[in-house]
Amino acid sequence: MTAALLAVGVLLLGGTGAVARFVFDSLVERRNASEFPFGTFAINVSGSLVLGGLTGASLASSTLLLAGTALLGSFTTFSTWMFETQRLAEDGELPLAALNVGLSVLAGLAAAAAGYALGAAL
Amino acid sequence: MTDGLKLTVYHGEHERAGSELLCDALNRIYERHALPTAILLRGVEGFGLRHTLHTQRLLTLSEDLPVVSIAVGARDAIEELLPEVSELVGKGLVTVERAQLLTRDLGAPELDEHLHEETKLTVYCGRAERAGRAPAYRAVVELLHRHGVSGATAFLGLDGLVHGRRERARFFSRNDDVPLMVVSVGDGRTLAKLLPEIAEMLEEPVATLERVTVCKRDGARLWQPPPATPAAGEGPAVWEKVMVYAGEQARHEGHPLYVQLVRRLREAGAAGATSLRGIWGYSGDHAPRGDRFLSVQRQVPVATIVIDTPERMARWWPIVDELTDEAGLVTAELVPAFRATGPAGSLGALRPAGGWRLDVK
Repeated sequence: MTAALLAVGVLLLGGTGAVARFVFDSLVERRNASEFPFGTFAINVSGSLVLGGLTGASLASSTLLLAGTALLGSFTTFSTWMFETQRLAEDGELPLAALNVGLSVLAGLAAAAAGYALGAAL
Repeated sequence: MTDGLKLTVYHGEHERAGSELLCDALNRIYERHALPTAILLRGVEGFGLRHTLHTQRLLTLSEDLPVVSIAVGARDAIEELLPEVSELVGKGLVTVERAQLLTRDLGAPELDEHLHEETKLTVYCGRAERAGRAPAYRAVVELLHRHGVSGATAFLGLDGLVHGRRERARFFSRNDDVPLMVVSVGDGRTLAKLLPEIAEMLEEPVATLERVTVCKRDGARLWQPPPATPAAGEGPAVWEKVMVYAGEQARHEGHPLYVQLVRRLREAGAAGATSLRGIWGYSGDHAPRGDRFLSVQRQVPVATIVIDTPERMARWWPIVDELTDEAGLVTAELVPAFRATGPAGSLGALRPAGGWRLDVK
């Protein structure tokens, strides 16, 4: 695969990942009846699981670039995670803000490890 | 003092009128008609007839936040521009309320007899106006607090008219001249007595007086809406506006009051609610406050506006009552003319059946 073709692939899949996040997050948050930002949490944890799986399955490096960096990279989001944590703190929801950081880290690590094991087993 | 009207349009920030944004189009109309004052406010949270939640707490849902566009003028002036506004507004809620309009020399106005009891005073000025060394809005809030007025909140506008000039906030600007309004609720006589002093603090004062009913203050029930009676004939002739003023730090079961209120109202199926964050103010006993530099937790006041038919409002009242069991100032007003447009079409008319004069119990 040429570098130019790869760049086009990253462009398209990156855009797709971002749109998928927007749609998925809207769907989750409109049904979310608590202050906890479940949308972003679910996005980051599921992204970690899939990325773990892709690396575990030891894919070709260009496939990993497209699916991992482009698609999952734009689907998952560090900045929104931080932004929404700051907004929780601003509202005085300090326990929820701490939970959002702690739970995301633990669940994300577990998901990545589980994904890796799954990918390697396949 | 003039017989005035207050025109308010509640809509989504992204709502368009032809090639421009609806809020821009509205402010251009207000400017062209040389209204004494207009202010555009962006809500932090809310929903409308479509029942879609918009909130600045979550990145994805902060797209298309609710905005409130307020214009105040003499009755003739507002009546003249009403058809134009009516035609322009697609989805959204338009309300017209009666207000006594005071411009320039506020003097010590003779209150309409119905304004003697609880009254809402709104003072409009520019953001950077100063009264001595303090910002004018803080001086006004301080004065109201000192004289035991139930609550006062300063809201910062994004766009509008200040002293008849169009002033809008820009990204690369100090935005000193953007419009600002101070909304206060208290005893009519006290407010009237303070008006001359407030006038001295401002360059070119513009203020309105409206009648309100104070329902609750810091958990104490002062008034209860009458039980719902089904509307006779072709739907309700008036709607009701309930406002809940509570600080950002006000809690119900450990969560911010305004967030809980908007959520519960949405779950219950209310027609709409919008929360606006002020920049300075108080309600009830605590001293006026705003955010402090480098403090993560916010201290600013928040006002939540709910507008619905009186019958339906009586159904939402237990929610409001429950959430404000400890904190908050709750007021009720009648909306004599309104038009709400949602997915299912339009409701109401922008001309009141019984004229603009309303007698409320």
